[in-house]
Amino acid sequence: MKISSIIPAILLLVAVASPRADETAKAKPAPCCPTDGPATEAGDALSNASIYHFDTTWTNDLAQPVQLASFRGKPVAVAMFFAQCDYACPVLVHDLRKIEQALPESARGKVHFLLVTFDVERDTPEVLARYRTASSLGSNYTLLRGSSDDVLELAALLGVKYKQNSRGMFDHSNMITLLDAEGEIVSQQIGLNRDPGPSALVVENLITPTASTTAGN
Amino acid sequence: MRPLPPLLCALLLLGVLPSGGADSAVGMALIPAGTYEPAFRGENDPKTVPVQAFLLDVTPVTNQEYLEFVRANPKWSRSQIKPIFAGAQYLSHWAGDHDLGSANPTAPVTHVSWFAARAYAQWQGKRLPTTAEWEYAANASPTRPDGANDPDFMVSLRRWYSTPNPKELPSIRLNPPNYYGVHDLHGLVWEWVSDFNTAMITGDSRGDTGLDRQLFCGGAADGATDRDNFPSFMRFGFRSSLKAVYTVHNLGFRCARDIDPEL
Repeated sequence: MKISSIIPAILLLVAVASPRADETAKAKPAPCCPTDGPATEAGDALSNASIYHFDTTWTNDLAQPVQLASFRGKPVAVAMFFAQCDYACPVLVHDLRKIEQALPESARGKVHFLLVTFDVERDTPEVLARYRTASSLGSNYTLLRGSSDDVLELAALLGVKYKQNSRGMFDHSNMITLLDAEGEIVSQQIGLNRDPGPSALVVENLITPTASTTAGN
Repeated sequence: MRPLPPLLCALLLLGVLPSGGADSAVGMALIPAGTYEPAFRGENDPKTVPVQAFLLDVTPVTNQEYLEFVRANPKWSRSQIKPIFAGAQYLSHWAGDHDLGSANPTAPVTHVSWFAARAYAQWQGKRLPTTAEWEYAANASPTRPDGANDPDFMVSLRRWYSTPNPKELPSIRLNPPNYYGVHDLHGLVWEWVSDFNTAMITGDSRGDTGLDRQLFCGGAADGATDRDNFPSFMRFGFRSSLKAVYTVHNLGFRCARDIDPEL
């Protein structure tokens, strides 16, 4: 490179001071339409350890906007999957139902199940809705899709590793994460086809005490 | 590969490009399109990965630059950050929220988590580089894009990677740039990438699905130059040990940008 071409470039690099100092963090969309969960803007501040501080907006299988904080107030079992996953994810979903079934009947309505897809391109709300029907998932299950950036960040928060492989499918860790009513990670069930007992016990203990202490309730 | 014409280099460095936010391309270099051979790949993964042309910061983000980000975004200050976004050692080398103390302002910022690095990049209208982008840019020596065929460079690399970090991190830009005009991809700090959590998915964990039980050394593994590229294997190993919330005393980052951002 000729010196005469370099000098203007160097001078400019030296002269330009710094990034835009008046930029503020990108504005997040206002919280919208919590589903049937309890109010999130109520008195108590969200626990510092809650993953609900990740306040982006997802879309469910009815194409409605959903924020994770809308699940506040109930323990949540969350797993990441994708609809075209033909072996592992159906087993993972089955594992979620095993946890549900392992709970006392009075407790089953007091926990929510969350499935978030890796496959941002193919798993549209319509695809997720078909998946819900095909897997007979009830109203205590929520299926979510989001931007690839948001999926990356949620996976990072949960510790889920994933990668799109050469066939367009996703290699991923199999994990069910249990969140308390504040959205804090309490424990994780790793692997497939696991005994639901330990996770069910955790969930039971996360449900508010009034619901679960009386035998045969 | 033909070197870029000098005027184009200058124009690119000046940020005069058909893209949004011309000022944020200052201090970035154009990395031309090419291919990258992963050091590790699964049996069914391709041996080479195409890398589209992109812009890369010519230096890692410094303490001074990160301080400006924190001033503008108080929730990323040390006293306010949520523990899910950074571990307890976040910016622990600073004296206070807005006080570098004895930390060198022009040294790379360290003790930052992946979340924090991403937030900074987003604030700049940029993003983190992918592993492929970072490794591809880092393949270059000062004189050639394929640094593996530059014996002096390989010697320097091995020396850098076997030398313990100095107690005080030195400033950026002390070493000459590489072929693309980028400084400090080697010899200063480890750097975050956007997809660090894809590294070394080994299938050791019985919980992992669809993952190759054996990892194959990528590229021409029986070629001497690849066997010598020990630093690349070290970086892969390091990345696989990370969690997004970790902060490390010698882990920093730099930003990248698409040439034509879609935003």
